[in-house]
Amino acid sequence: MLLLKLCILIESRQLGVDIHFSPETMPIQLTSQAYCKMLLHAAKYPNCAVNGLLVAEKTKDRKKDSEPVLCVDCLPLFHGTLALAPMLEVALTLIDTWCKENNYIIAGYYQANERKKDSRPNQVAEKVAARISENFSDAAIVMIDNSRLTMSCFEPIVIIYDHHENKWKSRDVTLDSFEDWSEAQKITSALLEGRSYENLIDFDNHLDDLRNDWTNPMINKSVLDLC
Amino acid sequence: MASVSEMYDVGWEEMRDKLRKWREDNRRNSEQIVDVGEELISEHASKLGDDREHVPFLIVLSPLPTSLQTCLQELRKQFPDSHRVKRLAGMRLEALERYEEANKHYDAILQDDPTNTAARKRKIAILKAQGKSTEAIRELNEYLDQLPLLFISSAAFCLEELMMTNPHNHLYCEQYAEVKYTQGGLENMELSRKYFAQALRLNNRNMRALFGLYMSASHIASSPKVSAKVKKDNIKYAAWAATQINRAYKLAGRGTKETKYSVKAVEEMLESMQITMS
Repeated sequence: MLLLKLCILIESRQLGVDIHFSPETMPIQLTSQAYCKMLLHAAKYPNCAVNGLLVAEKTKDRKKDSEPVLCVDCLPLFHGTLALAPMLEVALTLIDTWCKENNYIIAGYYQANERKKDSRPNQVAEKVAARISENFSDAAIVMIDNSRLTMSCFEPIVIIYDHHENKWKSRDVTLDSFEDWSEAQKITSALLEGRSYENLIDFDNHLDDLRNDWTNPMINKSVLDLC
Repeated sequence: MASVSEMYDVGWEEMRDKLRKWREDNRRNSEQIVDVGEELISEHASKLGDDREHVPFLIVLSPLPTSLQTCLQELRKQFPDSHRVKRLAGMRLEALERYEEANKHYDAILQDDPTNTAARKRKIAILKAQGKSTEAIRELNEYLDQLPLLFISSAAFCLEELMMTNPHNHLYCEQYAEVKYTQGGLENMELSRKYFAQALRLNNRNMRALFGLYMSASHIASSPKVSAKVKKDNIKYAAWAATQINRAYKLAGRGTKETKYSVKAVEEMLESMQITMS
């Protein structure tokens, strides 16, 4: 655990970002399903940038500082060109409507950059996150650290950014950032090795053929079976 | 003072050709350029044709300030909305150290076209000239922030080239439309809608083009700057696109239970956008 923390500290220092645990914004937590689908998306398109949204269940009262925001699912959006506006708007509106149906709210945005050593949020990430923040003030950006993506997934490879004083600052990613890290690790590793990412559908795939379902029911079922 | 044509016994065509050659060779023989050019503008402007544009610019950029006024006036008459002319006017004011007025010119350009790097650079040059280094640095940072906008302009240019050589490729057409949409502004939005429509003509199953047509038409229809007729037309286009989208989803949804969420979501999304348009 200490070794893990040390690794993350060194990594962050190399990235030149502040490590800052901000008690004002609530930390997000990832379920196995959310974490695993993000990584599957990144693994499916190893030569492209990928991005997507994270959703949480909508609760009536949310007391500050008590419970973290649990991101229960992830919706993969695009691969390759992430910065073009019209399809992004379509996806955001469509997913927003879908969320309302299922009592979810868009709580975060994830992105894996094209280059292996680059894991900082760029303008696209900040713009989308700003949009999400309009409806959900504790929106977070989750960046995938491409350089550490392996089949075994022995450590979490995400960097979580919170909006604090008009800047996006990374926070300590501990095992508390996961609902159940060992489960997430086991499931993600199994699905990566089983090449389930070949069947992962993102919004781009959906636009290519409407029958492709961006909610990924098959993969969700696989995750459930492995729990 | 004798005119150039009298002194050298040349006709206006020879003067024009000489100027062209100096321009191509990037010559800096300012005094000659000014003399020849001024005469061409004042006496033979109507005969110059395409060169009408280049002659005054050539003169203004030559280092002598004496004839700047005449040239700028001529340019302003010919090209009242030109950014290039505004920039030259700004540069003249800079030379006269009237920085506030110069800045006003550059701000006007940037308001119209935030990607105009030349105007931005002039503003930074003014700050430097005034010794305001911290502000100059701040403006430089803002300039760097604009670089993604510059990239997108290059993207547009590249796609234009691709479309010229591959006119039947609906993918380039549709991507170009997306780039125009992302650049924003009413003019780009209208272009975007046209190219989405063109992409659909080339391939009527291109969902991105269909969605794009819907989004761009909706944006134009809800813009306060358009006339009632344009608004009405775009509402029609958007409505047509919406029907096609719904139809496509219903077709895709047949036989699978899961996609029923998509169908409903799309219907609701389209309905919610109708409200913003009216």
